[in-house]
This record gives sequence, structure tokens and C-alpha cells, in this order.
Amino acid sequence: MTLNYMELKNNKIILDRIPSELDIFAVEFLRILEKYTEYVVISGYVSILLGRTRSTEDIDVFIKPLSKEELSSLHKELKESNFWCLNAEKDNEIYSYLTDKLAIRFAKINTYAPNFEVKFPKDKLDEEAFSDFITVELSIGDIKISSLERHIAFKNYYLGSKKDEEDALHIEEYFKDKIDFSKINKYKLLIEERKRKHGYGKK
Amino acid sequence: MDMEKNKRIFMKPGETNEEDRRNFIKFWVKYMKSTSDKEWSKQQNVIINSQLHVAKYNFRL
Repeated sequence: MTLNYMELKNNKIILDRIPSELDIFAVEFLRILEKYTEYVVISGYVSILLGRTRSTEDIDVFIKPLSKEELSSLHKELKESNFWCLNAEKDNEIYSYLTDKLAIRFAKINTYAPNFEVKFPKDKLDEEAFSDFITVELSIGDIKISSLERHIAFKNYYLGSKKDEEDALHIEEYFKDKIDFSKINKYKLLIEERKRKHGYGKK
Repeated sequence: MDMEKNKRIFMKPGETNEEDRRNFIKFWVKYMKSTSDKEWSKQQNVIINSQLHVAKYNFRL
């Protein structure tokens, strides 16, 4: 039997894990989402996908802004695939939440968990998540996640709960030879600047 | 390197709950690096899938 170990190379991680129910849920949703806009998965699920021993009920994802028509088409296909929006039924209302920089959630119909928390980037710092993402290749499909440096910085310096720090520690421990710590410091400064300017605090 | 074929690794107990949790994370990562993705994910999936089942039960409509 060949033993495969997760490794980061050229912004790609080939992961030979047995898919969890959360992974299956994620891939099903993301295959639909990516037909309409670009996405990057951020926060807790990144650590979980890469082996952290905890679970979550929601998967956070940034999407690039899309038009109201594109949102309507996305919503239509999600409904046809048995997803529903937990925040509203009407496309107009869902779209206005997004443009107000609020997160909208989708789960499988008649359930609330697990769910996807979908949002537009708040500012340039969030938008940059699309420029240095990592593709994780699973047997059931690919998942794009934020860079490890961005993930660690946001967990430690933006979210900052014990759980978040532990999520960051897991990634730091596993990928310590691959992580650019100067990049984490750069993000730390940008996060502090954002907090000073806009007061964006904890989630 | 498969842990089953090698020497066991041991976890250092923490002086506080917080330190113990951090030590476990480091211990778990060492374990992940000593075994295949399939093996560690099998164990991790017990946690993920069971919590999802509880969440689905609690949020049932």
C-alpha cells in the first residue's frame, strides 16, 4: 500500500485524506458556486481540512462580487441542488445583504447545519485573498483556500480566540518549513491598520 | 514512515489546560507526519462526522 503525506508545493496541496461529511458538503457547494464567481475558503475549515482535530458547523468563503443577475442564477442552481438560503428567500434581499457586506448562509434544504457562510470581501486586504490562494486537491475535487500565512495572521491577530490561536498553531506546526513568517508579520501590520481605521474587530 | 512500524511517540502533559491543549496539537501534528493522510483522517472524521450528526439532530426541522 502506498502511503501518501500532505505536502505544500507551488501553491498546491495534494491531500489523500478520507473525505469527511464536511468535505463532501463543501465540494458539492463549491462546484456550483465556482460556475458563477471566484471563491476562496477562509478561517476554521482551512485548519480542519488540513487535519485539525475539531469540527465546525459553518464554512466561511469569500466570493468576488457578482451582479444581481448572476446571484439570481447562482441561487436558482443552488435551490435545484437542494440548498436553501438561511437568511432570505428573495434574490433581492439576499443580494442586498451581500452588497451591505453581510454574510449569507446556505445549507442543504430543511437543515441549518452544516452551512456555508458566503461574503464579499470587505476591503483590499480581504480582496488580496484571491491573489495568493492554495488549491487543495482531494479525491472528490479541489478546494481553494487562503494562503497559510494569511490564515495564521487572521486567526492570531484578527479573530484571536483560544480556538483561533489553536487553529493557527496546527497549521504552523505542520507547515513550519514552508511558511514565510515575514509575510505573517506583513499581514499582522495590515490587520492592525485596518482595526485602527475601520474598527473591524472580532467576527 | 508509518508509526505502527516505528517507535511510539509520547505527548508531554501540560501544566495548565491551555498548555495541554497546545501540546496535544503539536503531538497530533507529529502523528500526522508519521502516518498516511488516510490513517489520520479516519480518526479525525470520527470527530467531524459525529459533531455534524449532533448538529443535524439539534437543528432538525
